[in-house]
Amino acid sequence: MTDLTKQVFAPRALISGDLLQVFYRLIAALLICLALTFLSESFLTLANVLNVLRQASLLFFIASGLTLVVLTAGLDLSVGANVALSACLAGTVIHQTGSPVLGVFVALATGAVIGLLNGLMVTALRIPSFIATYGMLWVLHGLTYWYMAGEIIHGFPAGFRQIGSGYLFGLPIPVYLMLIFLGIGTMFAQRTTWGQEIYAIGANPVAARLSGIPLSRRLLLVYAVSGTMAGLASIIFLARLNSAEADVGESLTLPAIAAVLIGGTSLFGGVGTVFGTFVGALILTLVLNGMNLLSVNASWQPLVTGVIVILAVWLDKATRRGE
Amino acid sequence: MSVRETIYASLTVLAAVAISTAARADGETIAVFTKNQTNPYFQAVRVGADAAAKALNAKTLHYIPTKPDSIPEQLSQVEDVVVKKTDAIVFIPVDYKAMVPSVEKINAAKIPVVNVTDRSAGGKFVSFVGADDYSLGLETARYLFKKLGGKGNVVIIEGVKGSLTSIDRVRGFNDALKENPGVKLLASQPGNYQRLQALQVMENLMQSHRQIDGVLAANDAMAMGVIEALEGANRTADVTGINGTKEAVDAVKAGKLLATGDYNGFLQGCVGTMIAIRSLRNEPVLPEIVLKPTVVTKANSQPYETPIESRACPAWDEASKLGRN
Repeated sequence: MTDLTKQVFAPRALISGDLLQVFYRLIAALLICLALTFLSESFLTLANVLNVLRQASLLFFIASGLTLVVLTAGLDLSVGANVALSACLAGTVIHQTGSPVLGVFVALATGAVIGLLNGLMVTALRIPSFIATYGMLWVLHGLTYWYMAGEIIHGFPAGFRQIGSGYLFGLPIPVYLMLIFLGIGTMFAQRTTWGQEIYAIGANPVAARLSGIPLSRRLLLVYAVSGTMAGLASIIFLARLNSAEADVGESLTLPAIAAVLIGGTSLFGGVGTVFGTFVGALILTLVLNGMNLLSVNASWQPLVTGVIVILAVWLDKATRRGE
Repeated sequence: MSVRETIYASLTVLAAVAISTAARADGETIAVFTKNQTNPYFQAVRVGADAAAKALNAKTLHYIPTKPDSIPEQLSQVEDVVVKKTDAIVFIPVDYKAMVPSVEKINAAKIPVVNVTDRSAGGKFVSFVGADDYSLGLETARYLFKKLGGKGNVVIIEGVKGSLTSIDRVRGFNDALKENPGVKLLASQPGNYQRLQALQVMENLMQSHRQIDGVLAANDAMAMGVIEALEGANRTADVTGINGTKEAVDAVKAGKLLATGDYNGFLQGCVGTMIAIRSLRNEPVLPEIVLKPTVVTKANSQPYETPIESRACPAWDEASKLGRN
């Protein structure tokens, strides 16, 4: 290893530091939970905890792939539109062929292809990721609106819908999937060379290239993963809502980006964890859950959401300053 | 469908430019403004407008913002139409206040314009054709409460906070509640007209309320989200939506949805376009047609099974009597 490589990889060796950060990140989420436990007797019940986790899963799938992109100091604005197109195509395939397996394959493939195209625009054409994926967002919206022409596909086989609403040993199936992908994502980012290279690219792309990291291939990988995760989210979406329509994704992109950033991943790259994103998704979901349980007036809900998000991030920063 | 429409639309633009000085007796071009390509309601308005135009031997040109409900896009589309000088305009403003200056531009260009669905806050119109959100909300809620026998626990899922349609529909729900003191409102929470959010809100509300007998959703997509939430939790409740979309009518027939208040986009498109054409031909029109509210239930869902594409517009005699007096 050259000195430069050592320098690039050095901060990542402090796994204990990561653990500490993860711990602090959880404080905000736990405080919200504590407050809700006092305010509503329905909050801290097994049923509601599982309910919150299941709701958080959809956001987590989209946001976890996005985390890798943000770690490289990039952004993927097309995730919501990706979910919409993948869901509509997969929905059509399931309707036409009656085969959920084929539908799942189509959703994942659509997501992956969109992600790869994003990656190619960023690497081969050197278009900044914000612009490339913003353009992709419109292309995908356009394709989806044209394809659906105001129609709604609804009514899927009961077996397929189990993916979204079914239980296994008392746990909702999307929660299993979330835990699996949380594990895979964390292992990949923290414990594999490729994962470490992704952090290195975000921290210092020049140093990363000089130390022999294949920049383009790794970037292609993160955009493809982000796209594929959006494809996965579209399956959960279809299975939970039992329908596909053109505008399903519009309300998903900004919360997904927010989950990544609330979770402590830096927009400038190189800093962050998939677990942090999990906590970010959890915080956003808890806020909605709490407001519904407490029947907060509809007029106040946006304001309450905004204040809690800001407080959560501030708390995180404030506690870490003492490190 | 959409591609064909676009090509057809661009051809009619060329045709309109080419023959703008030709005789006006037939083949007028009507510019139809709708809010977006995603909501099936506006698709129904467009199909209705096309049906009316076809029946009266006129042409339609559709203007739809590519970004749903985009004010700047509709502003520039109005400017295009004012420059092109189509014969008449059927207009659904994406925003009832923000589009007033555009309506004034249309007025200044002396193009007759019919206001459909959302009543504009200003400008001069030949006529207004719409449904009344308040009475739709009221009638749908009354139907639900009658089914519940005037008692039970209900929740309301509101639409986008601050949108006219949601405010009026929810006001209708609440007034029906006042008539039924035996019905208890457990919660009124926003679902922003989104299926996913309504599903999550319902999942959350089921956590804090053991017994929910009825759900009033401010649109059909949210009602369908609520039904998925109930099914996922193995619970049942009588759910109503509003809009009368095909999906909702299918669910009513299947017995999953109790009822949907029909917003009748097809008829609004039909009648609005008929009035635009009639005013060009100096035939009598009405200054306002507010459709009577219809609640689609299992008992009367039969006529709704005909796909909108194969429905016919009513004749003027009939259409002119559709409003409530």
